[in-house]
Amino acid sequence: MPNTNPDSRRANPESHIANPVYASLYRPPQLESPSASLAAIAREFSPRFECHRDDLVTIDVSGLERLLGPAQTIGEELRREAASRGVRVHVAVAATRAAATILAHARPGLTIVEPGREADALAPLAIGVLAMAVTDERRPVLDTREGHGPNVSARGAPRVVKKLDETLESVSSTLTAWGVKTLGELAALPSGDLASRLGREALVWQAFARGEDVRPLVPTLDEERFESTLELEWPIEGLEPLSFVLTRLLEPLSTRLERRDRGAAVLHVLLRVIDSGSGRSEYVRRLELPTPMRDVRTLRTLALLDLESHPPGAAVDRVTIVIDPTPGRVLQHTLFTRAQPTPEQLSTLLARLAALMGQDRLGAPAVVDSYRPGAFAMSPFAIDHAGARPSTGSGRAVMNSTLVVSPSTRAHPEPVEGERSFRTGSSNEERAVLEPLPPITSALRRCRQPVPARVAIDNGRPVRVTTDRRGFVGGTVVQCAGPWRTSGAWWAEGKSDVGSRKSDVLQTSDFRLHTSCWNRDEWDVALNDGAVYRIFQDRDTDAWFIDAIVD
Amino acid sequence: MPLARADLESLLRTRRLDRTLTTALPAPDPAGIPDEFVCAPTGHTPLDARLCGGFPRGQLSEIVGRRSSGRTSLLLQTLASATARGELVALVDALDTLDVASADAAGVALDRLLWIRGHVVSNPGMCRDLNQRAMEQAIRAFTLVLQAGNFGIVAFDVSEAPVDAIRRLPFTTWMRLQRLIDGSQTAGVLVGGESMARSSAGLTLRLTHGIRDSGCGIRFGQRLFEGFDLDARVVRARARAQQEDAAVAVRTLAACHA
Repeated sequence: MPNTNPDSRRANPESHIANPVYASLYRPPQLESPSASLAAIAREFSPRFECHRDDLVTIDVSGLERLLGPAQTIGEELRREAASRGVRVHVAVAATRAAATILAHARPGLTIVEPGREADALAPLAIGVLAMAVTDERRPVLDTREGHGPNVSARGAPRVVKKLDETLESVSSTLTAWGVKTLGELAALPSGDLASRLGREALVWQAFARGEDVRPLVPTLDEERFESTLELEWPIEGLEPLSFVLTRLLEPLSTRLERRDRGAAVLHVLLRVIDSGSGRSEYVRRLELPTPMRDVRTLRTLALLDLESHPPGAAVDRVTIVIDPTPGRVLQHTLFTRAQPTPEQLSTLLARLAALMGQDRLGAPAVVDSYRPGAFAMSPFAIDHAGARPSTGSGRAVMNSTLVVSPSTRAHPEPVEGERSFRTGSSNEERAVLEPLPPITSALRRCRQPVPARVAIDNGRPVRVTTDRRGFVGGTVVQCAGPWRTSGAWWAEGKSDVGSRKSDVLQTSDFRLHTSCWNRDEWDVALNDGAVYRIFQDRDTDAWFIDAIVD
Repeated sequence: MPLARADLESLLRTRRLDRTLTTALPAPDPAGIPDEFVCAPTGHTPLDARLCGGFPRGQLSEIVGRRSSGRTSLLLQTLASATARGELVALVDALDTLDVASADAAGVALDRLLWIRGHVVSNPGMCRDLNQRAMEQAIRAFTLVLQAGNFGIVAFDVSEAPVDAIRRLPFTTWMRLQRLIDGSQTAGVLVGGESMARSSAGLTLRLTHGIRDSGCGIRFGQRLFEGFDLDARVVRARARAQQEDAAVAVRTLAACHA
């Protein structure tokens, strides 16, 4: 069954690799001991391979098409190489590691999956194959060497994979009780409902069933290790001297990365700190970089900013830098698109801003699917933006450079006042008055904490608004519009407190906080001082508040 | 025959490349077509025509006006216009008052907007310097974004900040910021109740309620607030002679009620 659930779309962990292709080699149990290891076979084809177990290896064969041919040829070459070494293997080639690994377990011989058809290829398989195929995924996705941080990654991803083996049994029994027997049936279940019933671990199993990767391929490195250590004669305190040490360590590492056409995906900073009582201890910081980079200044700045936010707390007498490499970023600049900040510049800027303002105070705003007044979300500001792009936002199109001639508006030689129109070309003949757009949208300025107000009412309409808040003097209402009644989330409130309805504004000592539900009448009022406010009356407490300023 | 210097300059001027010879801003296009690499258009055609294309890049500009004078509406419109051209924009929201739904309704591509929210205690009580510290922190954030470069528009919004908090900032702040942004492709936009940067600002745009036949510039319907009728007036422009401009009428329309 094809996967049509939009919730299932997730970011490809290795989206920087164009058209990824993976091959999995699985060696079924044999009586005689194998004459060659699968790693040796994999090394013949690509340096990027991951040994999951002795009998299972996944190879990144992206780009081998130009050398060997299509996926079918690559698979046949792999089988031929294994046979020449006396090893009988199952081979599966797919665009995701999950699909390749599961299919290598499930099907003997050679299996080729067309890109984008992973879910279809996995759909008829029984659920039981998951337990056999993805046993290696049970290990934690994230490094456990994090020094003092919580049990989450720097990006906040929880360690859900760690618990997979614990939950598999219960998940399997539940799915069996539901009548779900194949991977296709599991993949078709609504993700949100599945997570609410079986927990987030079930989403990982569902991702496997859909042939989606939950983490990038971690190459088995046996050759070069990007690590550099400096023993200090005297312990140093403070970040300024540490800056010189980091530069000295990072420069040769950067050179080696460049030589290997690699970039840093993860930067580990290991500091040996001198404790007052217990001697020496290791302090580890782990920076997951948003994009592969090897610029020394950027790496040093990011490391310093991270240490500034999480200082080691004691003097340091040994500094070690370890870099997890990943294929370098290939950039093709163009003269036809606007210059954008480089990912290195943006990463450094965001790190500096986070150190100054706090991690939760910056990002890209996002609208949320809610009628709650003032509701919004923050998402990380993307590092990699495409160049100039057409306007596809949910708002109105306001591109000045796009020529969309509307015959109905050609008759107007000049734009109507208050409307926007577009011109293009360099001569008068080429000017065209284009589709008139609506006027500028009046914007609100939100009071994150509604300002308590005193409102006088006459004939059911506000006639005077005053507050005690500095900057909100208030005055006589000269015009008003309303009421707009709005309420929501009362169903959620009822779950926690049956029988007693709570307001969305809870009064504490001297301030009020938004809680889950809201129930209010909103008015837009213009005061005699020229200000226009959006005020509301909480219908449960009858209290009035200024919610926003129309500006 | 070798070309004389005057001929070369004339050719460069014809191709609008004369900035390689002088730091003076090029003369505005007589046809009124905004050059988006020189100015950041607001997206409002009459206003852009009056601003000679928009807010000048490489300079600090100001949008000033009283509360409810349409400053935020014009700012969001300008950001929307920039993001539609593919630019990255940043907003240092010193008092954390941005309404995301309004920004979305204005057409801002939110994924291209770096929103930096200030720490503000709305009622600081005895700790009167809290807002001041938040203001200085916001200035530092604004400086960092300008230093990073390559943003199309970087806005600094202190519209609702107390006047004394802004006046307490050293005046050299604005001169330093102007030096920082000078020559870059970024248009710095300051939004406030009154002019902050004064002589450091390249352009100051004052918004007021326009007196129309409909009334005092605030339009209300039967049950809905409908929008503003505003007058935008350029009160200072470095690139032009100091003269009082005629006001440009700007009409805003209220977004649908949630």
